Amino acid sequence: MSRTLYDLAYGRAGDKGNIANLSVIARSPDAYQELKTHLTVERVKAYLGDLAPGRVVRYELDNIEALNFVLYDALDGGATRSLRIDSLGKSLAGALLSMVWE
Amino acid sequence: MTLRIGSAQGFYGDDVARALPMIESGAVDVICFEALSELTLAILQKDKLANPSRGYTFDMNIIARQILPAAYAKKIPLITNGGGLNPLAAADMVRETAAKLGLGGLKIAAVTGDDVLDRLSELQAQGEALSNMDAGEPLAHAANQNFVTANAYLGAAPIVEALQNGADIVITGRVADPCLYLAPIIACHSWAWDDWDKLASGIIAGHLLECTGQVVGGNSLAMLHTLDPRDLPHLGYPIAEVEADGSFVIAKTPNTAGCISIETVKEQLLYEVHDPANYITPDVVADFTTVRLAPDGENRVRVTGVTGKPHPETLKVNLGRLEGFMRELIFTIGYPEAWRKVEWLKAMMDEAWRGLPIQRVEYTYLGMNSLFGSLAPLPPDPLEVVVRVMFTAADQDTLKIAVRRVMANGLSCPPGMSVSGTTVGGEPRYIIGLWAALISRDKIYPETKYFTVD
Repeated sequence: MSRTLYDLAYGRAGDKGNIANLSVIARSPDAYQELKTHLTVERVKAYLGDLAPGRVVRYELDNIEALNFVLYDALDGGATRSLRIDSLGKSLAGALLSMVWE
Repeated sequence: MTLRIGSAQGFYGDDVARALPMIESGAVDVICFEALSELTLAILQKDKLANPSRGYTFDMNIIARQILPAAYAKKIPLITNGGGLNPLAAADMVRETAAKLGLGGLKIAAVTGDDVLDRLSELQAQGEALSNMDAGEPLAHAANQNFVTANAYLGAAPIVEALQNGADIVITGRVADPCLYLAPIIACHSWAWDDWDKLASGIIAGHLLECTGQVVGGNSLAMLHTLDPRDLPHLGYPIAEVEADGSFVIAKTPNTAGCISIETVKEQLLYEVHDPANYITPDVVADFTTVRLAPDGENRVRVTGVTGKPHPETLKVNLGRLEGFMRELIFTIGYPEAWRKVEWLKAMMDEAWRGLPIQRVEYTYLGMNSLFGSLAPLPPDPLEVVVRVMFTAADQDTLKIAVRRVMANGLSCPPGMSVSGTTVGGEPRYIIGLWAALISRDKIYPETKYFTVD
């Protein structure tokens, strides 16, 4: 079975208005260096496709070996407007963790 | 000395009774209850429109009846923003309840001033454009002016003052979530309002506490193979033990289920955070990138190294606007030729709704693409498809007519199709749009009223 990002990291999604944030927390210092180098905004945006229709910003937290991805316009107008079954986007961190990691 | 803050509520509907083991075990000096998500005030507005003496959370009644007597007996102050849109009415209810329970001498503080719905014209006339933070559009230019709530996020100051004045319970409306928790720390440790690193440390303590279960194993991917799922309904809610220098330990109610680890703290630290170096609150801008985490014994994590910067000169205001209604229907479709039948369903509904002012229609297939959208490839010839259709209109009647017309096709539908009975019996739901804006601090006037139980 191929390795996914979930083998290297765990994370949680949060919502604020129409903005989602996905934390990607490395399981080890080596994993963090690998993620920091290779898990770029371009790669995340390309992988998430329709789930990340707007701007994506990446923040690095060396102190806790984690990345934080902020996805603008990603929640179908926000939890109070969204027609999605997961209106808060609670599952979105998992969407990113499903990325196949070579 | 160390201030021990318990957190017994993280949303409207949380189990506030988790405060009881905190009180009984003697593990806390003060307890906070955070009840207001972005949507909660709009929900409370519906209650208040139906009954002007409502508009606060129902949890307030449970707090008054079940928690307050035990807390008052031990002189543990309670702080809550569950006053929602009507902190004064909540205070009135608490006073009546406390009197019936014989809690003579109990002092209640009610903080108002966050609600600016009636001041929108006045504020705009004073030069506050209240422009949408996302789109930049001034409020006056909004085509839809059907605002039902408008609340500024207050900081810790009014709560600090109420505690210093001896309040046994402080009831507020919209206060920025972590500031609810920062307040008792400032009151205890007498921190200066420009001691940014310490204030930021208190904010991060509050941020880690404010989602109760989420830092003790709830919603934790890291704990998926560690926690016993039968513990989830019994998690001991978190406690922060905050030192005068700002450092603190995140711990858990003694002898309760759940777990606190470096992993659970990291997960919650980044929850609903955007730029971690600039976490903006009314009292301070906190920097999460200097935080250091260290184990401090079983189910304890020590947090040090937090830094902060001066707060902005503006406060955030969130306005809620009624934008229409939505309705859901779920259909089940099976083999053979499931996708062809899905296309038939769509065409049938489209035709049935001809002439109706339906605004949006969204189809998803549950278990196939309803969470991950285009990430999930659709199977070519599935055995079953569960179709969820969401549709919206400006008014409820349109949606009710739309459902009736579709249901009239019950015996004239694609072969083998069925509709989920619970969705047929459902009702239209409100669509509340949020309009976030900034406002000058000096335009917001918090006010505190005190009531003492005879």
